[in-house]
Amino acid sequence: MSQEQVNDAEREVLVSIVVRGMARGEASPEHQSLAESGLLLIKGPMIMPTPAGTALVGEQLRLAADAPERERLMATFHRFLPVNRNLRDLCTAWQMRPDGSVNDHSDPSYDAEIRDRLDDIDDAVAPLLKRFAEDVPDLTGYRERLTEALDRLDAGDNAWLASPLIDSYHTVWMHLHQHLLLTIGMSRAEDEALEEQLVSGNHG
Amino acid sequence: MPQAPIDDVGLVPFGKGFERGLDARSLCTRGVQMETLAGLGLPVAVGLTIPVPNVPGMVTVDRAAAAINLLESSAGRLVGARTDDGGLLLLRLSASAPVATAGLPVDLVAIGLLNGQIPSGLPEKMHADLANSWWKSASAIAEFGCQVPNDEISSLDLDIADVTQRIAALITVCNDKGTQPFPLDAAGQLAAGAQAMLSRWNSPRAARARRAQQLPADLPLGLHLETFVVTDHNDAGHGHAISRDLTTGQFAPNGGFRHGFRASGERQTIGHPLNLLPGGVSMLTGVLAELEGRLQSVALVDFDYGPEGLTLVGLEELSRTSARVATSLAVDLATRGITDERTAVAAIKPPHVLELLHPRPRLTGHEQQLVTGLAASPGAAVGRIALTSEEAVELAESGDSVILVSAETTPGDLPGMMAAAGILTVTGGSASHAAVVARGMGRPAICGAGGLVINRAAGTVSAGEHVLSRGDVISIDGDSGTAYVGEVAIERPEPSFALSTVLSWADDVRRLGVRANADTRADAATAMDNGAEGIGLCRTEHMFLGDRLPLIRRVILSHDPQSETAALSALADVQREDFRELLLACGDRPVTVRLLDAPMHEFLPEHPDDAEDEHQAKMAESLHEENPMLGVRGVRLAMLHEGLYPAQVEGLFNAWIDVNTQFGIAPELEVMVPLVSIPDELLMMLRLIRRVNQEVATRTGVVVPFKIGTMVETPRAALMADQLAQSAEFLSFGTNDLTQLTYGFSRDDVERRMLGTYLERGLLTASPFAELDPIGVAGLMQIAVERARSVRPDIKLGICGEHGGDPASIAICERLGLNYVSCSPGRVPVARLAAAHASMHPASH
Repeated sequence: MSQEQVNDAEREVLVSIVVRGMARGEASPEHQSLAESGLLLIKGPMIMPTPAGTALVGEQLRLAADAPERERLMATFHRFLPVNRNLRDLCTAWQMRPDGSVNDHSDPSYDAEIRDRLDDIDDAVAPLLKRFAEDVPDLTGYRERLTEALDRLDAGDNAWLASPLIDSYHTVWMHLHQHLLLTIGMSRAEDEALEEQLVSGNHG
Repeated sequence: MPQAPIDDVGLVPFGKGFERGLDARSLCTRGVQMETLAGLGLPVAVGLTIPVPNVPGMVTVDRAAAAINLLESSAGRLVGARTDDGGLLLLRLSASAPVATAGLPVDLVAIGLLNGQIPSGLPEKMHADLANSWWKSASAIAEFGCQVPNDEISSLDLDIADVTQRIAALITVCNDKGTQPFPLDAAGQLAAGAQAMLSRWNSPRAARARRAQQLPADLPLGLHLETFVVTDHNDAGHGHAISRDLTTGQFAPNGGFRHGFRASGERQTIGHPLNLLPGGVSMLTGVLAELEGRLQSVALVDFDYGPEGLTLVGLEELSRTSARVATSLAVDLATRGITDERTAVAAIKPPHVLELLHPRPRLTGHEQQLVTGLAASPGAAVGRIALTSEEAVELAESGDSVILVSAETTPGDLPGMMAAAGILTVTGGSASHAAVVARGMGRPAICGAGGLVINRAAGTVSAGEHVLSRGDVISIDGDSGTAYVGEVAIERPEPSFALSTVLSWADDVRRLGVRANADTRADAATAMDNGAEGIGLCRTEHMFLGDRLPLIRRVILSHDPQSETAALSALADVQREDFRELLLACGDRPVTVRLLDAPMHEFLPEHPDDAEDEHQAKMAESLHEENPMLGVRGVRLAMLHEGLYPAQVEGLFNAWIDVNTQFGIAPELEVMVPLVSIPDELLMMLRLIRRVNQEVATRTGVVVPFKIGTMVETPRAALMADQLAQSAEFLSFGTNDLTQLTYGFSRDDVERRMLGTYLERGLLTASPFAELDPIGVAGLMQIAVERARSVRPDIKLGICGEHGGDPASIAICERLGLNYVSCSPGRVPVARLAAAHASMHPASH
């Protein structure tokens, strides 16, 4: 269960599963091999990382404490968190109207307003994604995946904003966030505290 | 060069628009809102609307200057100037369209700063707030007025942390690289701001928003310019107030306020609660009551507050609200005399009723509450506690229902969240990751249950004095945010006072009667509680399932008259008990009892071992049918076993006497013969039933009053309704079977295999089993109605299929002139409302 036992293809697969939380479908040869090494758990159609798998990916992805990119990465991450908060609030507004009832998407104005606000969020995150990719090449793919989700949303399928079952905008965003935390080496608790601090600092 | 005269009729100060004969087409929605507020005689912001035709001209500095001059005269001071009390007068530019629309450009705030700089010597917070707002406006001016590329602006944003320095850098970039230098005066900034607004409105993003709302691509823009004062005064700020609590529907100012000036796009954040507003909420309460009366909808006002009092700066009508709010509002408006009861009934729709009555946990008061949190995703769930995603997956695999309980969730928990029936987290709000994912999956969830303590190592979950272990059962209610120890039953809640009021008003409006389909005392009681006027269908075959089955089998499968007679006698006794229970719940109301109608295979033993003896087994085999739904059932079975229906009605009549003598109630019995297709079937049954009535009368001295009627559920019965009406005192359309037979559909098979495709491809617009077929089936019913009434004009006509609870079908029943509909007990409130709507809007098909 160490780095040497995992080849490149397997590493990519393992990172992807840890970042996403799980995969579904038929187990590939890489999946089987990783499962035999105790890094993945295959349960029927669901494939999940074991704690050992998660720890290994954490080690692999984490930027060294003295890495030159770290300072700018952290600065960009500080800008990312308030936008992260906005995105989650927006997803909530997409799913639930202000009065607490479920959004049945029968009000085109309400949905159009949310979609417009989503553009604000996408505009805000665009320069951040560019910086992330410059500092950490592994993070390059997220811009394209987010855009693809937007395209599918605009093609008329409402699921592509926040459905957890597909690579919706929110799902890809979650993966990005998870990937960032693994790269920085920050825990969820620290991340939540930092986000809260940054967000409340902006309001009097 | 002489300047063109500035037409200042083109600028409309707030409050002057209506008197100039202008409306939303030129004033746009915000302009109309400000006119409405000014028209109430209330203090409104100092501002003006630039009507649609004059907007394109606003990008020129001359026109911009004229607008500013006009405001400065009204405000009595200059833009950008500090006043003695330390206040700074600035401008806000906003946009709206002739109709309500999403995708409007966001407000540009803090226009008018001299040299584009924030004055020195301001208190720290005032400076910071102003800097943040001005940065956004200055960026827009730089991008659209000076054509600085967006990338450059983003870089400045990311690289320069200090906002004041960043703004200075932006101005430098404009001067060096822009198509024009950064405007340093108010008029220049305003002109560039107008340009920014127009450019944003013409962007692909805004075009998409218009398309999505099916609004014209060339929908024009109106602009609005207002002054506001930036001050450090402790008693000055801004807020918003909605006329109702959006969860309970109660009238009261709800919203929040903040110190300081209003930044752009800010209404999402709440701030301090209104009960702390300096000066109190009485003025707001009065304003909101007045507005609700004028607009007949929930109203929202934006306001500024200060030492001089409240100023209204915005108004919005919230026309789409939850069922609870809509119902409370409708009742209040009618009660106040602003509208009337019919209007209130028309305002509430069947989906509102369903929303208000959807199943919720049934609380007896003996539940043990485990913990409360935020209602993050609606619905209720019962399950065993799992403390990790893996545990949840394991438990679910073994067939258990699971509630995933954890501190917070991450993407790694997704498998567990999917396997669980519900989710309970300690941290996080209704916008947390867990909440978003739970809602996306349609799983009930409670988040932020701070009182919960989880000990994964020990496998325990505790709150208050409760200590539970992994595997213990809990229930969660995602609508109220409450978790309970153990299993809680699910039921439909009582209608609120507002809903009961609207439904009773609906009862006054509707013509159609509303009865319920109920087979048991409990269902009948529910039906009456929900306002049913009687039982439109009691299915007696449901009384013969379970441990009663042997009785009916002996009747059908007996091989000699004696055993058949004995079985029938036992059956009559048992039915007497059943009917007594039912009649007790009905009082003096009509009760329509449908005599036995079940397809043969429901009574026959499936295996030879289930039969009582070899003879029964052989008989059962010989009675096997190719097509039980069209075989020997209903009245046909009764014709072959002539003692069957008499036994049932004997039980019924005896039960009536029981409840009449014991409790003094006199339900109106209506005895209904099912599946008639030949009028003589009905006639023969009628004779048998009348004979039993006489026998009972002879034996007991009581003539039990009853009516006899039949189901119309075959096309032939519909076409021969005139002959049926000669014997039948009432007819009830069995629309489930009538629909099957008219289309030639076997319902189960068609729904499973075909319906989806037919709906997708447009051959059907709805399932004919959910919504009554308005042409074919309704056509047969129309013929039946006409023919039946030609023979017996006062014959009672009803419907008792599932369609009785469907609004579109109820409208058809109204059109056909039926007397009543009958539906399941839970649908009775919807049916009452839909029947009222049908009365108010005849011939909607």
